[in-house]
Amino acid sequence: MTQPLAATPVPSGGVSDEPILRLDNVVKYFEIRGGLLGISHIGDVRAVDGVSLEVRKGETLGLVGESGCGKTTLGKVILRLIPATSGQVYMKGRPIFSLGEREMKAVRREMQVVFQDPYASLNPRMTVGEIVGEGLLVHGMRNRSERDGRVRDLLAKVGLNQSHIHRYPHEFSGGQRQRIGIARALALNPDFIVCDEPVSALDVSIQSQVLNLLSDLQQEFGLTYLFIAHNLAVVEHISDRVAVMYLGKIVELADVDSLYATPRHPYTVALLSAIPEPDPTRRKRRLILSGDVPSPANPPSGCRFHTRCWLREKLGNPEQCSTIDPPMRDLGGGQSAACHFAEQVTIQAAEEVAARQSLIDTAI
Amino acid sequence: MTDRVKVKEIRTGVSETQDDLIEVKDLRTYFPTQDGVVKAVDGVSFEIEAGKTLGIVGESGCGKSITALSIMKLIEKPGRIVGGSIKLDGFEIVNATDDEMRQIRGNEISMIFQEPMTSLNPVYNCGDQIAEAVSLHDDMGRREAHNKAVEMIRDVGIPDPKHRAKQYPHELSGGMRQRVMIAMALSTDPALLIADEPTTALDVTIQAQILELMKALREKNKMAIMLITHDLGVIAEMADEVVVMYAGKVVERSDVNTIFAQPHHPYTHGLLASIPRLGERHKRLAVIKGVVPNPLNLPKGCLFKRRCPYAMPVCDTAPPFQQLGPNHSSLCWLTADQKPPAIGANASGVIAEETAAAMSPSK
Repeated sequence: MTQPLAATPVPSGGVSDEPILRLDNVVKYFEIRGGLLGISHIGDVRAVDGVSLEVRKGETLGLVGESGCGKTTLGKVILRLIPATSGQVYMKGRPIFSLGEREMKAVRREMQVVFQDPYASLNPRMTVGEIVGEGLLVHGMRNRSERDGRVRDLLAKVGLNQSHIHRYPHEFSGGQRQRIGIARALALNPDFIVCDEPVSALDVSIQSQVLNLLSDLQQEFGLTYLFIAHNLAVVEHISDRVAVMYLGKIVELADVDSLYATPRHPYTVALLSAIPEPDPTRRKRRLILSGDVPSPANPPSGCRFHTRCWLREKLGNPEQCSTIDPPMRDLGGGQSAACHFAEQVTIQAAEEVAARQSLIDTAI
Repeated sequence: MTDRVKVKEIRTGVSETQDDLIEVKDLRTYFPTQDGVVKAVDGVSFEIEAGKTLGIVGESGCGKSITALSIMKLIEKPGRIVGGSIKLDGFEIVNATDDEMRQIRGNEISMIFQEPMTSLNPVYNCGDQIAEAVSLHDDMGRREAHNKAVEMIRDVGIPDPKHRAKQYPHELSGGMRQRVMIAMALSTDPALLIADEPTTALDVTIQAQILELMKALREKNKMAIMLITHDLGVIAEMADEVVVMYAGKVVERSDVNTIFAQPHHPYTHGLLASIPRLGERHKRLAVIKGVVPNPLNLPKGCLFKRRCPYAMPVCDTAPPFQQLGPNHSSLCWLTADQKPPAIGANASGVIAEETAAAMSPSK
């Protein structure tokens, strides 16, 4: 781990190597309580288990993983919407878990969030003007007409009709609601936005509208995104770098081109192979992972992926997979992966395994 | 079971010499509401051959699920099938009595839903639920039905089936629950399986498992599948034939290769262009502008015209369902090479004539 960086001025526009956000061994455990009275601590759900990452100014860092891998929890911990168990997040050098309420309020102006479900994340009793302007009010813009003016500007920016300011969320379609959520996130001129599955709940034709909007806004305002999603095609489209998460840990981190061309973690390979491609002429034999994601309350020993790993099986079940937790290793070219045998992960190896597997016995 | 024999008799009696297992013709399912009639399904036609998979694609609200529920005759009041015909092996489902439908559901047609947790009963264990389905349809004893249930659980690739049969739905993961749903749906060996977004709630690696399972079972059981999804990737992977629906109507249908290689309808074009694809980065995504029209306030003529980049005056008249090839039709005024239809003295061809008729002042 490197030392926390001092707040240094960052050049505006474009992607720089300067991290705007740095995560240092962030851990979030949810306690499981049980016993006779239901109050004794009987275990932990290890939702986020030691994540270190840097998000560079102006980039989009994609964070992919399956449900329950901890990606949404990580997003919330970064924003301090839920307290971390340990670790630290530095926003422009400031350790945000150590800040007081007042300092935190200032930091919150710079970090915003767009949620997955545009139906659940907008208060049905508030008008669009109140929803988008709430942050402005909290942060001191008390003049109503000034606030409404800003809200109208924001609505125009996200492609909504300015006259919609007095309407309620139920009057809008899913895509429009997601635009309202984006306008709310932009209201305080943030530098960094966590986009938590912003298009998963939308229909395909609407999804592309929102993705294009996010790209446009990023260019216009020099925004940095942490883009959380489970759809790898969407992540590839929008991201500069991608982190793959499995059971609370980052297992691979790379530039988007390297990750999709030469994945170095067996889990990434399986994820990529699993996506059905919208092209019937390219029907392929996929690599099917056996079984389900293990419970984060009781993660497997050693490498957390070893219970489902196709490479481990191919290599004759080497012992270290189940005993030693592989650290993230730098594999060159800005790519790193947490696998003892990352060098042996090739598309060829995966195809060999895919060709041999039986179709029905994949649940074991 | 005498009833079952009766239905089978009825079916074989009426059966025509054809390969189509199910034939839906001009199906209309409407929902009267306080503000007017919602035409959820408005003139949908398709056929599925035995052993083939028909994919139905469309966005939410396009009527794809209502089409499926109409085939099962599970439309909730006040909605009802107001017209058209659904023939299963020649047997007319639209006029079937409740008793006949009870025989058809499960025996002939089974259905799996998007969210397995809401479709499974939380207070019965998985084995009992499957055994119930089996004994209702096959007149088996309890023990026999239970053994069959365990066998089905094994067939869908769930390890340790005896133990799993005793577990309750909440003890299983999403992928396992969907497998249990599939086991239940297949336990009575249906001729047609309707799968309504069967993998939408699942993760990609689990989705891949379920799709492979469905393919393997399709081959083993020689059943037809009607696969409803909004995911064009799943369609490309699974379907033989594709129907694209928009606002209650079929706008295009063809075999799967044609629909992806040479889509004709501007909506199909838009859908295919707007999905991000692996390996095609940093291209700006094409968008379909606007939103799906309000079902209570549909545009006159073509339902897609407000969002269509090709919209032209003739689109105010309902477009014809043109035949573009032996197995390819599209509900659009554009000619086969996607040009606006010619009007005037030199214009020839069916589309030109129909356009001229639509545009003539007498109309």
